[in-house]
Amino acid sequence: MLNDKPDDATSDAARWAALIAAVAREKDREAFAALFTHFAPRIKTFMRRSGASEQSADELAQEALLAVWSKANLFDPNSVGASAWIFTIARNLRIDALRREKRTRTAGTDDIDLEFQVDDGPSPDAGLAAAQTESRVRSALATLPDDQLRVIELSFFDDRAHAEIAQTLQIPLGTVKSRLRLAMNRLRGLLGDFS
Amino acid sequence: MTIVHHPPDELLTAFAAGILDLGQHIAVATHLTGCLHCRRVVHAMEHVGGGVLTALPATAMSPGALAAVETRLDGLAPAVATGLGKAATGLTDVPGLPPFVRDYLSSSWKWIAPKVHLRPIRLPEGSATRVFLLKSQPGTKMIEHTHTGFEMTCILTGSFAHAGGHFGPGDFDFGDGATDHEVMIDSSEDCICLVAMQGELKLNGIIGRLLQPLIRM
Repeated sequence: MLNDKPDDATSDAARWAALIAAVAREKDREAFAALFTHFAPRIKTFMRRSGASEQSADELAQEALLAVWSKANLFDPNSVGASAWIFTIARNLRIDALRREKRTRTAGTDDIDLEFQVDDGPSPDAGLAAAQTESRVRSALATLPDDQLRVIELSFFDDRAHAEIAQTLQIPLGTVKSRLRLAMNRLRGLLGDFS
Repeated sequence: MTIVHHPPDELLTAFAAGILDLGQHIAVATHLTGCLHCRRVVHAMEHVGGGVLTALPATAMSPGALAAVETRLDGLAPAVATGLGKAATGLTDVPGLPPFVRDYLSSSWKWIAPKVHLRPIRLPEGSATRVFLLKSQPGTKMIEHTHTGFEMTCILTGSFAHAGGHFGPGDFDFGDGATDHEVMIDSSEDCICLVAMQGELKLNGIIGRLLQPLIRM
């Protein structure tokens, strides 16, 4: 996993960004189909691992791609990478789905989008080419040892992540925490200073 | 403002991953509103999320999924950027809150202890984490307390000090069950904090036990 060469990562990131731009500009259905083919099955896996049933994971993946279509005009390749942007769409749909499950709400994902708007100012990376950020992150991930990668990957899944990672990898919880700290430090070092 | 105390990386990653409950999410979002440094970390972690998503193995979509989605595309209007359409109603008088929280309902300040007032924030979702504002007058020495869960404190105005350091506007104080706080408000103005808390708060000492029923947390 995550072992693409940096070059592939850069060209992938640029290609996906171009496909989203084509959807935004020309409602390009071929571009959409290409995005669907790559991302929908992965979003489905993402939803399955988050506890969604086969059917609802499939529906959520479809919803995510519909959102890619309708939100393509809001995609700003200068502030966010394509896969990160699609990740945030899937993430917010997952939150929405979990809340619907608890039947505590009837509103849509717009509310969740708002919950991630923490600042009215420019995006954190304004001025930095986002495709560059994306490929930098991916090549940083590619250099992490496999056990650290697993910990980072699984930490995207749920609030019992640490305990579950421990169980999945059959290692003590303390080891998960120290691995995660190691992996984070390593990643932070590879990504450079954020401030 | 100089921010010295930040949420731990694991918490920022969990925020970016979208796995915090709403109460915890609000506490981290409040810190992010004032902290460009942590916004950058979260932004980078969202890119890590993109990398994780892309590297996941594919699960075959149901037959005809693409065709089904394609028939729905024509009916979709382009999205408009989400923003706060209506004027915020609830918490407009408190500085430093993220835009979405300003829309939440809140009751008025209620007295909970000498020189200390509390204002609950009503969340639109069920959340295991309670969120409230705490306002303490200058010179207040907070009653020593222990919590069984965790406590996240975002300082909005004023400042305080405890064994863990000095905390001013923008700072994030993360306490887990082991912490035993004895907090001293050392600013000349009121110290207002947003607190997200899970578990039971136990006030120590006789006065604390007398106040416990009033606080009900």
